[in-house]
Amino acid sequence: MITEPRIPDPDGFYAALLAAHEGRTDAQSADLNARLVLLLANQCADQDVLLACIRAAAEDTTTTTAP
Amino acid sequence: MENFAFAPAYELPVWPFTPPPELGSTKPVRHPIVIVGAGPSGLTLACDLAQRGVRAVLIDEDDTVGVRGASSRGICYAQKSLEIFERLGIYERIAAKGITWSFGRTFSGEQEVYNFNLQANSVSRQPPFINLQQFYVEWFLVERILELGLTDVRWKSRVTRVEQLADGVRLDIETPAGSYTIEADRLIDATGANSPIRTQLGIEAHASRSTDRWCISDVRFKKPLPTERWTWVDAPFNEGRGVWQHLMADGVWRIDYQMPEDCDTAYISQPEVAGARLREQLGPDVEFEFVWIGPYGYRDHLLDSFRHGRVFFIGDAAHVVSPFGARGGNSGIQDAANLGWKLALVAQGKAGDTLLDSYDAERQPAAQQNLQVTSRSARFLAPRSPAEHTLRRAVVALAARHPFARALVNTGRMSVANDYPAAPQLPEGARSVQNLPLRWADGRETTLMQLLSEGTHCIGLWFAPTREQARAALDATASLPLRLLAVGGDSGLPTLQADDRLASHLGIGDAGSFALVRPDAYRAAVLANATPEIIASALRTALGHDSNP
Repeated sequence: MITEPRIPDPDGFYAALLAAHEGRTDAQSADLNARLVLLLANQCADQDVLLACIRAAAEDTTTTTAP
Repeated sequence: MENFAFAPAYELPVWPFTPPPELGSTKPVRHPIVIVGAGPSGLTLACDLAQRGVRAVLIDEDDTVGVRGASSRGICYAQKSLEIFERLGIYERIAAKGITWSFGRTFSGEQEVYNFNLQANSVSRQPPFINLQQFYVEWFLVERILELGLTDVRWKSRVTRVEQLADGVRLDIETPAGSYTIEADRLIDATGANSPIRTQLGIEAHASRSTDRWCISDVRFKKPLPTERWTWVDAPFNEGRGVWQHLMADGVWRIDYQMPEDCDTAYISQPEVAGARLREQLGPDVEFEFVWIGPYGYRDHLLDSFRHGRVFFIGDAAHVVSPFGARGGNSGIQDAANLGWKLALVAQGKAGDTLLDSYDAERQPAAQQNLQVTSRSARFLAPRSPAEHTLRRAVVALAARHPFARALVNTGRMSVANDYPAAPQLPEGARSVQNLPLRWADGRETTLMQLLSEGTHCIGLWFAPTREQARAALDATASLPLRLLAVGGDSGLPTLQADDRLASHLGIGDAGSFALVRPDAYRAAVLANATPEIIASALRTALGHDSNP
C-alpha cells in the first residue's frame, strides 16, 4: 500500500469528490461512495494492496463519531 | 381465489427386504466394508466399489429412493459427478433423462447484469451440468449396483447402535424380521445431515443455521423457457428478494423464492400463497400445476475430521453447506469417488491403511472450501446490515454498465472438482483431469474415463518415451497398480495419439514428460523428465507406500 502522496492535484480531486456529493441525501452519498470504492478497487487490481487498504481504513477510529 | 392443481405423485420403485443370514445367528459375522445410507454418496461408493470388483454391505432404513415428497433435494449434477457416473456406467441414462445446461443468467430487477457459459472452460466428454431430480440418480445407481451384483443391499434396516472396536466396528441393526449384530472392518457413514452414527459417537459437527428462509416450488407449465439457470438478486415479482429458476426432467421447473427472514414457513408454502407468487411471475394466462412445494432454511456443518478410527464420514454426514452452486450433493458424490479406489486397493492388499487417511486430508479441505464459497454467496444474497445493502446496490448498479463489477455479483459459484492441497501422498497437491476424448495410435476412440473404468489402477501418461525407458519402467512398476501408456512416439507401450488439448490440459507435453493420473482422475504428479525410478517412486508416494509399506 502506497501512503506517500501520488495524487497530482489533491485539492482539485477533493473538490471534485465534494461536488459529486452535492445535493445528495445521506443514503445517496453512501451509494455513491460505495460505487466509487468498487471502481477504484478495480483500478488498483492488486489483492494484497486492496486488503491492506481495507485494514488501514478499518483501523481509523476518528470517523466513527458523527459531529 | 384461484385454485392450484397438484400433479399426481411420482411412482417410485420399491425393493424387497430380504432377511439376512445373520438374523438368529449368535456370533456376529465380520464384513470388510459396511456402508450405511443409500443416498447419492452411499450409493456412489457402493457402485464404485462394485465396479472395481469389491464387495460391500449397504444398509438403508427405507426401501425406495427419494426423500420427503416427490421431487425435493438436489437437482444439479456437475461435470466431475457426471464423469464419475460415466465411469460407473449410468451417465447415458442420466443424460437421456436429464436437462443439459451450461449457460446462466443473473438479473437485478428487470435487467440482466451478468451471464456465464461454463462450456467455455470444458474439454470433457461430459457437459458442465445436467439437472435431474435426485431420486432418478439414486434409482439409476441402485439398478446399476444390482446389475453389478457384488453389493449386499439391505433395505428396511436401521442401524440402532455402533461401537468402535480395536480392529473394526460393531453395528446393531433393526429390521422388520428382528434385530441382529454385524461387524465391519471399516464402516462408512453416509446417513446424511442428521447422522445418528455421528451423534452416537459424540462427534462435534460445528452446526449453524441461517435465518434466511426460502420456498421451493416445483412446477410444471407450458410456457417455453430456455434451459438456462436464471437467478434474480432482487426479483420485482418477489418483493425485491432473490429467485432461482431451473429446469429438471419431465418438464418440471424448480423455482426457489427467497422469503422474509421472519416469515411463517407454513403460510408461505400454502398452495394458494405459493400459487399467487407464481402467478405474479408468469402472468395471468400461463397454466401450471404444482409438483411439490416446501419451505426450507439453510444450515451448515463441517466435521473437523472425516475419519474417526474405523469410521469414515462421507456426504452430508460429514459436511452440509447452503445449496448455492450445487456444492452439496456433488461433493458427496466426489467424497465417494475419492474413498472408493482407496478402499479397493486396501481390500486388495495393494495399499496400506495410510492411504485411507488421505481421504480426510483431501476431502475435508474441499468441504472447507465449499463452505467458504457458499457462505459468501449466502451473504451476498442476504445482506445483514444497511451497509451491506449499500455495497450490494453499488455492485448491481455497476454490473449493468461495467464488466468488472459482474464478477462481484454472487448468486452462487457453481460446483467444481476441488483442487487438493499438498500432503504426504500429494507433494505438489492434485487437480482433477477432465474426461478428455482420446484416440489410440490406430485411430480407435477412447476417453480417460474408459481407461479408468476397469479395475483399480493409476494411469501413467508418458509423452514419447524411448523403448528402453518404457521396458525398464514396466519392470520397475510391475508389482504396482499402474497402467503405463505412451502419448506419441514409438516405445512399444500402448500408445495414444499426441494431442495438444491433452498436453495443455495436463500441463506437460515435451518428450519424456509424464503425468500420473489416479483412479479418481486426479493428477497426482507431473514429471518433467521421467525415469523408471522416478515413476515408481511417484506412484509409491501417491499410494501412501512410503510411510507405511
